[in-house]
Amino acid sequence: MLWKPVRLFTFKRKFDFLRYRKAALVISSLINVAALVGAFTVGLNFGIDFRGGIAIQAKARDGVAQLDALRATVGNLNVGEVALQEFGDPSTALIRVQRQDAGPQCVAGAQRILQKRAGPDWRVAPGAAGTGDVLFTAPSALDSTGWRDAVSRVGLTVQERLLPRGANTTAKVDMTVDQQAEWCQQVAIKLVEDAIGDRYEIAGTESVGPKIGAELMETGIWAVLATMAAIALYVWFRFEWQFAVAALVAMLHDVLSTIGLFVLLQLDFNLAALAAVLTIAGYSINDTVVVFDRVRENMRRYKKLGLVDLLNLSLNETLARTLMTSATVFVAILALVLFGGPVLASFSVAMLWGVIVGVYSTVWIACAALVYMNFRPEQLRPKEEAEKAEA
Amino acid sequence: MLNLPRWQNIVIIAITVLSGIFALPNLLPAAVLDALPGWYSQSRINLGLDLRGGAHFLLEADLRGVINERLTNLSDSLRGELRKQQVGYRDVTVEPGRAVVVNLREEGQRARAIEAIRTLDPALAISGEGGTIRIAYSDQDLFRRKKEVIDQSIEILRRRVDETGTLEPTIVRQGDERILLQVPGIKDTSDLKRKINQTAKLTFHLVNEDVAATGQNIPPTLPPTTYLVPTREGMQALRATNPKAWEDIQSANPRPGPEQICRRYQPQCLPVFKRVVVGGEDLDDARATFEQQQGGRPIISFTFNSAGGRAFCAATRANIGKRLAIQLDNEIISAPVVQSAICGGSGIITGQFTTQQTQEQALLLRSGALPATLTIIEERTVGADLGADAIRAGTVAAIVGIILVAVFMFVAYGPVFGGFANLAVVVNLMMVFAGMSVLGASLTLPGIAGLVLTVGMAVDSNVLIYERVREEKALGRSAFSSLATGYERAMSAIIDANLTTLVAGVLMFSFGSGPIRGFATTLSLGLLTTMFSATIFTRMLLAAWVRWRRPTELVI
Repeated sequence: MLWKPVRLFTFKRKFDFLRYRKAALVISSLINVAALVGAFTVGLNFGIDFRGGIAIQAKARDGVAQLDALRATVGNLNVGEVALQEFGDPSTALIRVQRQDAGPQCVAGAQRILQKRAGPDWRVAPGAAGTGDVLFTAPSALDSTGWRDAVSRVGLTVQERLLPRGANTTAKVDMTVDQQAEWCQQVAIKLVEDAIGDRYEIAGTESVGPKIGAELMETGIWAVLATMAAIALYVWFRFEWQFAVAALVAMLHDVLSTIGLFVLLQLDFNLAALAAVLTIAGYSINDTVVVFDRVRENMRRYKKLGLVDLLNLSLNETLARTLMTSATVFVAILALVLFGGPVLASFSVAMLWGVIVGVYSTVWIACAALVYMNFRPEQLRPKEEAEKAEA
Repeated sequence: MLNLPRWQNIVIIAITVLSGIFALPNLLPAAVLDALPGWYSQSRINLGLDLRGGAHFLLEADLRGVINERLTNLSDSLRGELRKQQVGYRDVTVEPGRAVVVNLREEGQRARAIEAIRTLDPALAISGEGGTIRIAYSDQDLFRRKKEVIDQSIEILRRRVDETGTLEPTIVRQGDERILLQVPGIKDTSDLKRKINQTAKLTFHLVNEDVAATGQNIPPTLPPTTYLVPTREGMQALRATNPKAWEDIQSANPRPGPEQICRRYQPQCLPVFKRVVVGGEDLDDARATFEQQQGGRPIISFTFNSAGGRAFCAATRANIGKRLAIQLDNEIISAPVVQSAICGGSGIITGQFTTQQTQEQALLLRSGALPATLTIIEERTVGADLGADAIRAGTVAAIVGIILVAVFMFVAYGPVFGGFANLAVVVNLMMVFAGMSVLGASLTLPGIAGLVLTVGMAVDSNVLIYERVREEKALGRSAFSSLATGYERAMSAIIDANLTTLVAGVLMFSFGSGPIRGFATTLSLGLLTTMFSATIFTRMLLAAWVRWRRPTELVI
């Protein structure tokens, strides 16, 4: 034997966890209510995945990104709210531009691009009111290939409904308002690229149009609900409905408090963050299920024991494993937080939080919920056993 | 009992070795891979676009626009047909996205009007009462049409993106009306967007039958109205016989004109009039079908819009017996002989075609224009540098995470049991790699996070087992009995714990898109392989260890 194992979590005394259940209930409720209130008042810092919008990573060609100068440049483009931050290292800036909507400012932006890239005699104007149509005017007559090339300069991509008119010096592009809004995203990207392109290299671009943002949000909410429901169903199937309800309450607590963390720290809530929330729901129930498993086992073994004592006993017996399993996941995620880079930052921080809150909710939410549901272990004994016990 | 039957041990070892074999191509250097058979060396994990750099576009097709256009066309031809049948109507209107409504002057003409509609298209759904007739495409028909539009768009996009010479673009349908286009390694997306925007140029020309121009016999001068255009077959033959010349033509910038190609390389060419009879923009549709009368030969049928139909009618009427060349991107894809005037706005192309050829040709004819407007609704591009940074960060995080977990397990459970658990983690990672290679799954940055999380969770099962063994030992069981019962009793908790997280993983995969999917893939795969590596695999190791050391006292 080279070395002896170190007992990392051994506790001489037995803890009376559930003695503090009322205090825990009050604290947890306060935290959850605060998280909900915060989410609706302060709000989550939604990333462009859900809000729609543009994120451009710009790397300074000469070393250091000048955030103030960048903010001034991009702010002058008339593309709405702009947020800047350093991203990963001092040479890279993350430029976030709000979601673009259809409107005259977008058409004006398109004209600026076209004049810069094609010539000063170009005009772009909105078409008939109520539609998203756009009218182009060229300095000389163009054939359909020429038109196609011209409109692609302003990011109108794969646009087949291009109708040259008159002497082919004007052309109309048929669009709905929604289509124009999606196109405006492209216009804004081009405006930013044109404005900063000589001093910054565009390292990456993300653009989520209004439509997909709303959809991702909706799918995200459904995913969270469906995941919690599916896990609760699984617990119901493997245990009893009381356990399923307790697990559901614990999951809800973990999800809400994670959302609270995002509100508090104003972390970027993006798709990866949503993945973290879902994983937390799935992972935190891990510990809970392990305890439930032991509760069930002890129920059969100690038939005379009261519920609170039974739960306390099970919690104490499994405490070492709960802490050990969480500790291994904790150190793994710690590595992600420290070395995973800026893209994963909000995901990793949320997961780290999820591991801690998962242990807490196992003890003081899931088990406490079982106590408050006034459930009696005798009810859960299989019939034969119960009869045998009576006999 | 710890010991497993021999056949189970064999299966466990076989699975482990197989995983190793399938994970191996991901680690081998390129020089070694080249020496191995392709099916094996290519079964590797793809890097997602966020790691290798590239562009991702989600495009939405304007299907409502397509249907409205179709209804408008229907209403146009309906007016003509009703006039022809001398059915008086008050108005013909289009209900956007749904139907065409005809108001007749006299209710008595309803039957005649319906007959007229039926001659246009027998599959139309007709409803309404009295003098009002409501005509709609059936749901089935609309569904098929939508599917066709997306399929066509995908084919056309593929053709256009392939022309850029980019390697391995992914173009797939996403949902009912969306197309996902992923192009790895591309840096300048505006160039790609422009390429997508380009249309293949399709034109119909009459062949100048007075000029003989084949091979060596090309006259030095042609009438000013005529020029030479290589045929597609000719170009294909040239490519086969003289690949060097073909390469030269492709790589020349600017690409030589069709007549230059004909004179310099002498592929099979046709002299055609420069005047365009009808252009591709006037073509509505082209499809491969079978001829009804003469034994079901494969043919291509096509339809023009009204302007194209009139021009085509006039040209064919005046040139019966002559050849009409169909020119696509400066190659003649076919030059059928005009059999009769083609005036109904539609026609057919016959020739010695196979079924597959007609399908290709029909596709080429259609590929002039995309059938629907496509709008970019999501765009994500990652530069190669950024991808490399992400790989570096992910790899460092993964390695540090693995080391931390390994040290933790060694400290907590000692060299033997900690060692078994850590070995299980290695096997687990190997199995995830093998699984991803075989499935052809992509590894994304969140996917790496999923791997790190898997490493953290993979030892969970061993912790559950070992803690249970400690408990059993504390109850006074013998070394062997503690191990055996520990394994057995921990199993239900292990299964429950892994399956609940797996539920989350599977749902994430089905709901999520791109990055979330990458995470869900590695997480779910990791959970599945954990159940093998942390329980069955370590059990086999432990059984072997117990047989070898015969421990009387467990140091755990």
